[in-house]
Amino acid sequence: MASQREVRTRIASFKNIQKITRAMEAVSAARLRRAEQRIAALRPYADALRRMTRQAAQDAGAEVSRLPLMAAHEQEKRVGILLVTADRGLAGAFNSQIIRAGLRLGTDVEAEQKQPVWFASGRRGVSSLTFRGHAPQGAYTGFTDRPSYADARRIADDLTSGFVDGNLDRVEIIYNGYVSPLTQRVTREILLPISEATILGEDDDVSEAPDGPRALVDYEPDAEEILRVLLPDYVEISIYRALLESTASEHGARMTAMRSASENAGELIEDLALEMNRARQAEITQEIMEVVAGAESLV
Amino acid sequence: MARNRFVAEILTPEGEVFNEEIEMLSTRTTIGSIGLLANHEPLLARLEPTELRLYRSETDVVRFAQAEGYVQMSQNHALVLVEEAVDPARLNVAELTERVEAARRAGEAAVPGSEEAARADRDRRRAEAFLAIAAGAH
Repeated sequence: MASQREVRTRIASFKNIQKITRAMEAVSAARLRRAEQRIAALRPYADALRRMTRQAAQDAGAEVSRLPLMAAHEQEKRVGILLVTADRGLAGAFNSQIIRAGLRLGTDVEAEQKQPVWFASGRRGVSSLTFRGHAPQGAYTGFTDRPSYADARRIADDLTSGFVDGNLDRVEIIYNGYVSPLTQRVTREILLPISEATILGEDDDVSEAPDGPRALVDYEPDAEEILRVLLPDYVEISIYRALLESTASEHGARMTAMRSASENAGELIEDLALEMNRARQAEITQEIMEVVAGAESLV
Repeated sequence: MARNRFVAEILTPEGEVFNEEIEMLSTRTTIGSIGLLANHEPLLARLEPTELRLYRSETDVVRFAQAEGYVQMSQNHALVLVEEAVDPARLNVAELTERVEAARRAGEAAVPGSEEAARADRDRRRAEAFLAIAAGAH
């Protein structure tokens, strides 16, 4: 049995670990709140952009599907896969579930005789892919704690120019969608080509009844030109939303992971306290027996 | 003479920066400068980086340094979507000068006509426009 001193040292070290995990949980909770606020702040902009895109697409007429970002390539040979992970770990299955889903998609793509082209944001994703021999063509790190719009634009620029130049024939994104602080859902979306259904399908604006009279809108420049610049912005917003959701999910996942780590440390401390009491009792018993034996030998 | 008023809403990906009734909105589209008054015909236009002015009255003007974006006018409601809308007093001249230089270097390094060159050109024009606004504000 371990001595009292050994057990006391172990208890002290578990208490230190518990202090750290509790602090990390508190930090994650604060950052989660901020991340949630940023998702809420983006929503009006994203909705308005989608409405504008839809309006421009309706007025641009039948030519829409020929625009570079909406036109499906005749032959699909190279598929871009963007994995959105975190720069840091200690967040439960947050990073590994994205990497697993990405690798599975990569295998499927290869099975269809196509070539996956990897992109990753977050150090965890970049290093995992590199380790497995899939060095990413685009690696974006150092911002997953607080992604800015410029970060999303950098990623979107690489993907859209790759798609337009014919180096990529389809682009998919895999990220942790934010459901609640306790739940993250692995979400997979097709970023490019943008499908007509995505732009025209979601008719959520009640004020714009499709069969009602619609005011003639003056476009500067014309509707197709505006749509041509709106579409890359649409991709940027989709990526930005994914980055923000992933950040919120990361903090949620870390908060949950750290809470259970603190609880586990607490349980271990309780067990060790019991063990220490037993060790102390054993030492006392031992001493009494020695005293008694000594006294008996004198009689 | 007081003009008719209309609601102007300025949104960025970081959130709403302005939502009030105003008399006139002045900005610049790809075609040229534009001033919107109440009851303007429905419009959807692409915006260039410039100084966005929102006239609460002739003398009370709110200004923003505005990045590329869009303005939509419909049913007496002006909606401005821009990537950035910054208070001109908060622009940092040294940082903007550095951004102009960085964009110029990136533009020279990029292949002419490529997507990268276009990106550098866009960044340079935005930083230059902001610099001009900062020079006027300080």
